[in-house]
Amino acid sequence: MNKQSIISIPDDTIFKLKILAEEKESVRRKLVVTAEKLRLKAKQLAVTAEEKESVRRKLVITAEKLVATAKEKERVRRKFATTAKQLTITAREKESVRRKLAITAEQLRIKAKQLAVTAEEKENVRRKLVITAEKLVMTAKEKESVRRELVGTAKKLRLKAMQLAETAKEKESVRRKLAITAGKLKKSRETLERKVIERTKSLEMARAKEEAILLSIGDGLIATDEKGKIILINKTAEKLLEKESKNVMGKIFSETIHLEDEYGIPIPLAKHPVSMALLGNKISTKNVSEIIYHARKDKSRFPLSIMVTPVTLGKKVIGTIKVFRDITNEHQIDRAKTEFVSLASHQLRTPLSTVSWYTEMLLGGKIGELNEKQTKYLNEVYQGNQRMIDLVNALLDVSRLELGTFPIEPKQINIIKLIKSVIHEQGPQINSKKIAFSFLPEKVPIINADPKLVRMIVQNILSNSIKYTQAEGQVSISISSVDKKNVLFKVSDNGYGIPRNQQDKIFTKLFRADNVREKDTDGTGLGLYIVKSVVENSGGKIWFESTKEELGTRFFVTLPIKKIL
Amino acid sequence: MYLKLFQVSKYVYQPIKQTHVQKQKTILVVEDEKSLREALIDILNMENFITIEAKNGREGVELALLKHPDLILLDIIMPEMDGMATLKKIRENKWGVNIPVIILTNLSTVKNREQLVDDKVASRPTYYLIKSDWKLLDIVKKIEKILTM
Repeated sequence: MNKQSIISIPDDTIFKLKILAEEKESVRRKLVVTAEKLRLKAKQLAVTAEEKESVRRKLVITAEKLVATAKEKERVRRKFATTAKQLTITAREKESVRRKLAITAEQLRIKAKQLAVTAEEKENVRRKLVITAEKLVMTAKEKESVRRELVGTAKKLRLKAMQLAETAKEKESVRRKLAITAGKLKKSRETLERKVIERTKSLEMARAKEEAILLSIGDGLIATDEKGKIILINKTAEKLLEKESKNVMGKIFSETIHLEDEYGIPIPLAKHPVSMALLGNKISTKNVSEIIYHARKDKSRFPLSIMVTPVTLGKKVIGTIKVFRDITNEHQIDRAKTEFVSLASHQLRTPLSTVSWYTEMLLGGKIGELNEKQTKYLNEVYQGNQRMIDLVNALLDVSRLELGTFPIEPKQINIIKLIKSVIHEQGPQINSKKIAFSFLPEKVPIINADPKLVRMIVQNILSNSIKYTQAEGQVSISISSVDKKNVLFKVSDNGYGIPRNQQDKIFTKLFRADNVREKDTDGTGLGLYIVKSVVENSGGKIWFESTKEELGTRFFVTLPIKKIL
Repeated sequence: MYLKLFQVSKYVYQPIKQTHVQKQKTILVVEDEKSLREALIDILNMENFITIEAKNGREGVELALLKHPDLILLDIIMPEMDGMATLKKIRENKWGVNIPVIILTNLSTVKNREQLVDDKVASRPTYYLIKSDWKLLDIVKKIEKILTM
C-alpha cells in the first residue's frame, strides 16, 4: 500500500518535494562524481609518485652512466692528445696542398684575362667579319659564362685555402703547447736521474755497512744459494772451520764442510742440515743426542750448535743461512750432568733398596713375629721408602727428558692390552677406595710406540684420577680412533677437579694444586710434567677439562699411530 | 729354628715350592754392596736355594767357571771388574754361553741399556731388573720362572 494514497498531500507540495529530491539526488551524484574524480586523482598521484621514483632511479643509473661516460671521455681526450701530433703533420700537408691550389687559381685568373683579350680581339674580328660576329659574340658569351664559373670556382678555392690556414693556425698553437709540456717532462726526468744517483749511493753505503755487520758477527755464519753453494762466510766461521773465504766461496757446502755424528760417521747428504733447509725446513740442533761435529783437516773435531734457516723469496727457497758456534764447553757440562744423574741415581737407589728389602723381610715375618704396632711402624717405613724410590725415579725421568737422553725403543703395541695391564696394576687402589670403574675400548689399530713411555702416560693419568677421586667415586677410561692417524685416550672422573685459577699451572714441574695438596701430601708434582713432555715429544697432544671442581676432571691424550714415540 | 717359628707365626710364611726340580738349584750372587748381597743370600737360602757369594766381578767370573751355578744374579757397578765385563767373560766361556743371567742393578742409563740390547740380540738368557723397583719375593719368583723355562 502506498503511503501517499492514504495521507492527502497537496500536489504542488509533492511536486516541490520531488524537485527537491531530484536536486538532492543530482547534488549527491555530483558529489559521487567528484569523489570518483578525487579517487582517480589520488591514483594518478600515486602513479606519478611511482613514475617519479622510477625516474629518480633512472637518474641514478644515468648518473652512474655519466660517470662512466666521463671516464670514457677522459680516455677519448687522451687519445685526441696523441692524435694531435698526427694532426699537426696532416695540417702541414694540407697547407702545402692549399698553396698549390692558390697557384692554380692564379693561373686560372691569368687564363681568364687572356680569354677576355681574345674576346676583344674577336670583337674586332666581328666588326670586320659581321656575318660571323654574332656567332663570335655567342661564343664570347659562352666563354664569359665559362670564365664566371671558373672565377666562382677560384673564389671557392680561395675560401677553402683560408679555412685551411685557420686550421693550420690552431694546430700550430696545439703544437706549441705540446712543446712546452715536453720541456717540463725533460726537466722532471733530469731531477729523477739526479735522485736515483743519490739514492744508489746511500744504498751502497747501507749495503757495505750491513755486510760489515754480517761478517763481524760473533757466531759462525755461512750463506749458500739455492744449490748449496757458499756465497758468504764470515770471519768467525773462517776461524772456527779453519777455512779461508777465497777457498770456499762458490763451492758446495756439504762437500766443503765436513760434518759427522757422535761416532764419527759423516752426516748423510739427505740429513745434512743445508739439504734439509733447502727443502724449506728450519733446522736446529738442541739436544746432546743430536750433536753434530765438525771434523777439521787434522782429524780433530768440535761439537757444533747449528741453526740453518731457509732464505725464501715469495714462496721459493733461494738459499740458506747457517749460524753455528762451538759448544765444546756446553757439551762437556751436559756430559757431566748426564753422568751425575746416572751416578746419583745409582748412589741414591742403593740405600733405598737396602731399606726396602730388609723391611720387606721383616714384614714378611720370616725372621720372627712382629706385634701390631711394630708391623704398623714398619709399614710406615716401607711406604716412606717407596715414596722416596718413586721420587728418585721421577727425577731421573725428568732429567733424562730434559737432557734428551731418554732411551726410546718403539714397538708395535696393542694399546688396549697395555691399558688393561695398567688397570690391573691399579686394582688394589681401585678396590680399596671402592671406585666404580669402567673401561670402554673401541677397536683401535696397533700403534708404533715405545710401550714404556705409553705405559708411563696411561699410568700417571689413571693413578692421578684414582688418587684424586673420593671413595666410591667414578673413574672411566676410553680409547678410540680420532682419525686415520691418531688414537684418543680419555680418563674421566667425578673427583676433586682442578681449581680454575690453577689450571694453567697443572703441567708445571713440581706444581701441585691446592685442593689436592690439602687432601693428600703424597705426590711429587712431576707426573703431569713428565707426561706432557713425553706426549709432546711423540707428536701427540694432551689437554683436560675441569669446569667445576665438583664435576671432576677429564684428561685427553692423542697419540699418533705411526710416529715413533 | 725357622720352621718352628713359621708354624707359630701370625704372618705365616709359605716358601715358594720348587716343583720342577728334585735337586736344589745353585745361584751365584755377584754384588759388592754387603747389605744387599746378604739380603739376597738370606731370602734365597730361605727359599731352599744353594747360594754362592762374590764381592766383585773378578770373583764372580772365577766362581761361575768353577762351580757352574744354575743362574747368576749380577750387579753392574762394582770394583775390580764391573758387571758388563763379567758378563762378557762368562759368555766367552763355552759353559757360560747359555747360562741365565739376571742383571740386578740400580743403573738405568742409555749406555747400559744399549749394551744389554746387544746381549739380547744374541738371544741369550739375560734379564735386567732395577733393584729399587723389585721386591725380594718378586726377584725370587722371577728366578723360579726362569729356571722352569
